[in-house]
Amino acid sequence: MKKTLLLSLVMVAGIIVTGCGKQAAAPGETADKAPDKLRIALVMKSLANEFFLTMEQGARAHQAAHADQYVLLADGIKDELDVNRQIQLVEQMMARHVDAIVIAPADSKALVQVCQRAQEAGIIVINIDNKFDDEIMKQRGVHIPFVGPDNRKGARLAGEYLAARLQPGDPVAIIEGVPSAFNGIERRLGFEAAMKEAGMNIVASQVGDWEMDKAHRVVSALITEHPDIKAFLCANDSMALGAVAALRSAGKLQGIPVIGFDAISAAVDLVKKGELLATVTQHADRLAVFGIEAALEVLKTKATPEDMETPVELVTAEALAS
Amino acid sequence: MIQGRQLLRALVNYAGLALVLGLLVTLFALSTDYFFTWTTFRTIANQIPDAVILATGMTFVLIIGGIDLSVGSVLALSGAVLGLAMVRWQLPLPVAVLLCLGTGALCGVLNGLFVIRWQLPAFIVTLGMLEAARGGAYLVTGSKTQYIGAGMDWISRWSLLGLSLPFLVAMITVITGQLVLTYTPFGRSLYAIGGNEEAARLSGIPIGKAKVAVYALCSTLSALAAVIYCSRLTAADPNAGSGYELQAIAAVVIGGTSLMGGRGSVINTLFGVIIIAVLESGLIQMGAQEPVKRLVTGGIIVAAVVIDYYRGKI
Repeated sequence: MKKTLLLSLVMVAGIIVTGCGKQAAAPGETADKAPDKLRIALVMKSLANEFFLTMEQGARAHQAAHADQYVLLADGIKDELDVNRQIQLVEQMMARHVDAIVIAPADSKALVQVCQRAQEAGIIVINIDNKFDDEIMKQRGVHIPFVGPDNRKGARLAGEYLAARLQPGDPVAIIEGVPSAFNGIERRLGFEAAMKEAGMNIVASQVGDWEMDKAHRVVSALITEHPDIKAFLCANDSMALGAVAALRSAGKLQGIPVIGFDAISAAVDLVKKGELLATVTQHADRLAVFGIEAALEVLKTKATPEDMETPVELVTAEALAS
Repeated sequence: MIQGRQLLRALVNYAGLALVLGLLVTLFALSTDYFFTWTTFRTIANQIPDAVILATGMTFVLIIGGIDLSVGSVLALSGAVLGLAMVRWQLPLPVAVLLCLGTGALCGVLNGLFVIRWQLPAFIVTLGMLEAARGGAYLVTGSKTQYIGAGMDWISRWSLLGLSLPFLVAMITVITGQLVLTYTPFGRSLYAIGGNEEAARLSGIPIGKAKVAVYALCSTLSALAAVIYCSRLTAADPNAGSGYELQAIAAVVIGGTSLMGGRGSVINTLFGVIIIAVLESGLIQMGAQEPVKRLVTGGIIVAAVVIDYYRGKI
């Protein structure tokens, strides 16, 4: 009873803290009155997601180290699909006359229009994480530079590492992210390319919606239908954790390697233990920073911004041991 | 005489659902290589316990004419507390489980108190809890998946005669739930409340207490489902259970429980959960594409309710 009481107190305290968090964002307001410093807006996707949280924390740390150069106005949306709210966030940032907007768009098409308006208002817009749709940008005659990793390349790296442990012709399965997400599609294509090149047989490719539990159910059903599957390639780590749990309960974890993507902390632990073969890091803590640095560079040199590729690296037990 | 008619109705009820289930199993058995195997059924049996337990709680709530949209979030929050207790505080499993169930119970009591104190629609109160508990889950875990590992693994591995511990727990929950509904004054008062609240009040049923008890029960069962969820995935995931409320409602409604209250059975809900699980597993094994899966699942939900309409006329 005492514990529950304590817990409810913790919850209440938590609510108060988040409430204060809102207030803590207020330095942006005072910053509106300080014309000497550059003001950069970071518009994120879901801050409830570990990946984006790491990105935002990286950006805050960078700002703290470069407090003399710029002020950071960071905000994110409640869940990754709340496109409308993100459009409003960009509009608010425009109204606050920021110098640059660094954005991880929730939708690679729907956000183009508002970002174009920001550009027309003289704001530097840098696209991070999820790349804007080339076709749409061409149609609208706009160019928004993308600073970020090549997801396809990362997936291919992991796929090649996996393939070296398999025999050509081995049946493998891919667990995909949300079907409409650009990075999910890129990762699937990267996995497919690596598997085809090594002569593997992709017997199934199913959607796991980025979720652990969904992937668990999909993998359980797949190992029943294709008992000879030799490996699972998962488009993110949450799904890889679900796959590992499913294989463990089927008693098949030893023989069937799993790879993931994102290098979240729980997945890195599993790589260390040897239960997950590999994952891919795109340096989440640096992703937003790369975008901010690009924005600062453009603001300083007044150059036309170009696309810039940021590094992706394989995370394996050997790499972690060294 | 009345007993005889009740028996007939019960038979018709179960027969209809068993028929749908039988058809699905036959269809998948014919169209895939390995569906009709012991492995498939064992896999499904290991995956449904949390859904069964959630849906049992939801059945109680729907019987009194209420609704609980917060079950998925409460699952995530209580799972997060469980993960925190085990990983960060290094507490023994029984204590962690008690904390987890306590968190669930607390959420449910809050739901119930708000509903009765201000006569608010349960839809709104539990919608609020859906948001708040999800936020709590993110706070508690720092938005990070907590990897629990071997400390909980044994719960889903332990088995008796090939049936896993979570499956046994789920079956005990269903049977107890059904017995309470059919044979206890409390259970029967729930049907009365759902059928006609005013009449129930006039006949002296303590409506407020019963409602709080039902919401507390539903949330505590969500927390129990969280224990099973975390042991299956050996991790506490702050995004766990999003959308489970709708799945649970779908399962309960497929089982013939009325959204208007006053009618329902936990055994039928079990059939509803199994039908959804068989459908999902079968479609994956067929290699169906995602859009097709969703179309078919949606179609079956509506079809089951239409069948229920005719079943009600017998």
